[in-house]
Amino acid sequence: MLDRVISRDDLHALIDGLALQRRLIGPVVRKAPECRPPWRYFYQPVDRAEQLDLSFSYCVYSPKPFLFPPQETLFQFERVDGGFTARPQLADRPTALVGVHPCDLNAIQLLDHVFSAAPADRHYRARRDNTFIVGVDCARPCTDGVFCADLDSHEAHGGFDVMLYPLDGDAESAGTTPGRYGVVFGSRAGGEWVRYGRRGEVPTAADERTFDRYQRQKRTAFPHALKTPADELPQLLERSYDSLLWEATARRCYSCGSCNLVCPTCYCFDIKDQTTLGGDGGQRRRQWDGCQLRGFAQVAGGHNFRSRPAARLRHRIYRKAKWIRERTGLRGCVGCARCDRACTARINTVEIYNQLTEEV
Amino acid sequence: MTVLEAASPPAHAGDSTYIPLAGMVRRVTKLTALEQLFEIRLPNGRPLGHSPGQFVQVSIMGVGECPISIASSPTRPDSFDLCVRRVGEVTGFIHRLRPGDTVGIRGPLGHGFDVDELHGRDVLIVAGGLGLAPARSVIQYILDERPRFGQFHLLYGAREPAELLFRDDLTRWRQSPDVNFHLTVDRADEQWRGHTGVVTTLFHRLPRLDPDNTMVAIIGPPIMFKFVVLEVLARRIPQKNVFCSLERRMKCGVGKCGHCQANNVYVCTEGPVFRYGQLKALREALE
Ligand SMILES: Cc1cc2nc3c(=O)[nH]c(=O)nc-3n(C[C@H](O)[C@H](O)[C@H](O)COP(=O)(O)OP(=O)(O)OC[C@H]3O[C@@H](n4cnc5c(N)ncnc54)[C@H](O)[C@@H]3O)c2cc1C
Ligand code: SF4
Ligand code: FES
Repeated sequence: MLDRVISRDDLHALIDGLALQRRLIGPVVRKAPECRPPWRYFYQPVDRAEQLDLSFSYCVYSPKPFLFPPQETLFQFERVDGGFTARPQLADRPTALVGVHPCDLNAIQLLDHVFSAAPADRHYRARRDNTFIVGVDCARPCTDGVFCADLDSHEAHGGFDVMLYPLDGDAESAGTTPGRYGVVFGSRAGGEWVRYGRRGEVPTAADERTFDRYQRQKRTAFPHALKTPADELPQLLERSYDSLLWEATARRCYSCGSCNLVCPTCYCFDIKDQTTLGGDGGQRRRQWDGCQLRGFAQVAGGHNFRSRPAARLRHRIYRKAKWIRERTGLRGCVGCARCDRACTARINTVEIYNQLTEEV
Repeated sequence: MTVLEAASPPAHAGDSTYIPLAGMVRRVTKLTALEQLFEIRLPNGRPLGHSPGQFVQVSIMGVGECPISIASSPTRPDSFDLCVRRVGEVTGFIHRLRPGDTVGIRGPLGHGFDVDELHGRDVLIVAGGLGLAPARSVIQYILDERPRFGQFHLLYGAREPAELLFRDDLTRWRQSPDVNFHLTVDRADEQWRGHTGVVTTLFHRLPRLDPDNTMVAIIGPPIMFKFVVLEVLARRIPQKNVFCSLERRMKCGVGKCGHCQANNVYVCTEGPVFRYGQLKALREALE
């Protein structure tokens, strides 16, 4: 059921309205001569809606950095009279994230869960609470190799204020700019944005039929890549702990952590202090960390609880497909395949799952 | 009095779980060449409100933070003890602290011993090396609440006499009728007149343990754990009565940063104290 339908122009007007109150961030195309095709999409701040490309294929990085930045100050400290004072740094800049695909919305739901669980992480929450999210649906796979449909994360299940469905961009013409969007409200703020903006119309019966057709088309547009259904991956992995495949695959691994870096659901971090030169103040900062990096589980004295790349690869895969799912009921992997695309060693997660499936 | 009910939310200041409270160093005692004991008081004498086996994140502004076990019992709420071995950056700076200095404290963190479950039971504690520091929080607790426990046996092993921690306590415990205490070192020196051998060689000094009524806590390096658990199970103690403490790299201490995971378990929140049965299913736990 749609809440509204809206023309492209009206949508742009609404987004321009948002940009008056919020920093606007969305998918923007950038030239990339070394790539084929020679352009790539990135989330970045813009001034106006028309700078965005809402029919983008995929963004190289997910919008995660705008909710959980690669580096951030947790608090400022000042050393005074042998003691210290500390001031938390909480981001309060209103932001609108416009053009988030279902896979990344699913990932945001996981981040929300982890950082909101007690004790809540106020630094994440502050950013998140100040962020208005407009999702945009994919009519068909954004590129080869994705397996979002296997994980049912090609559909949005929440995490948005407003969701847009490109109505006259059906499976055949997807990639061209749709003239109309179906709108679903995900929050009160989302509903108010559209209604108070006085844009869009109440959907007619014909609009609902178009939306039905869109969803039917979508069901056949996404191929399935996994030989084990996602629900059964936990059991598959349970049986595969001692498989030789971990060693065999990890032999190629450079432990570079690129897979962690581009993953929309990776949220591990390190905490480090920085002092201002010569002064008595400084910051305690956090920065992304990655479980594939060699020293991730190493303690003082040199003992490393996961010294072998194979143990680290297994840890990553278990976490993505089994542990997070079992612990939270949410998706630890959303099938965006960014890790597979980023990997210099061409380690491919779908291939791992399918090889394990054939082993047992 | 049950101290645990008094447990307040973990100490952290202000609007962020990551901001520590300013603890005041009351006393510093040199224990060995590498270990010092710090007695810490929170602002306004606020009790830490921990249970034995929990830890705190200790921080030096501008240097960093590291997890340290609480080495004293909540039955002594005015202050708490931390026994710190100097091994790197943060612990090196902690060792420079002097009485009157301030140190950042976040905690208590993690899941400690469920002392209610120990009440009314016989207790055996086996500690190795630095493991005596967290063990001391349980030992003091039992001694302070002695009537609530049955027999109390304590075995402690260090690598060599120079590494023995808490010497004053050791003397006191040896003389106390409240605890059946045995001590060993792996390698003796000329002056050593006590028992020599790894900690498992002390087991023959124990009386017959009542398998159904004895709770066991094993706190020490993983290698020790494997051998001790065998001795304990050989005495027919059920696995559910055996507890042990794990160490992992930790950063956030609150189940977010991912560093402390042993397989799917967050040692910082679900541990560091685990039931042996829980650990058996965790392939990475005792590697
Ligand atoms: C639950 C728990 C309780 C502990 N209790 C005690 C104790 O009572 N007394 C004691 O002396 N030591 C204890 N340790 C070990 C102590 O935390 C490390 O020795 C300390 O972190 C080393 O920090 P560093 O900066 O001096 O060393 P560096 O080698 O400079 O370490 C850099 C950073 O790595 C991380 N790190 C390194 N080793 C460890 C480790 N073993 N555990 C966790 N993080 C680590 C820390 O974040 C540290 O700040 C405990 C560890 C854990 C997990
Ligand atoms: S990106 Fe590839 S090579 Fe790099 S750590 Fe990940 S799996 Fe290993
Ligand atoms: S120390 Fe951060 S999750 Fe446990």
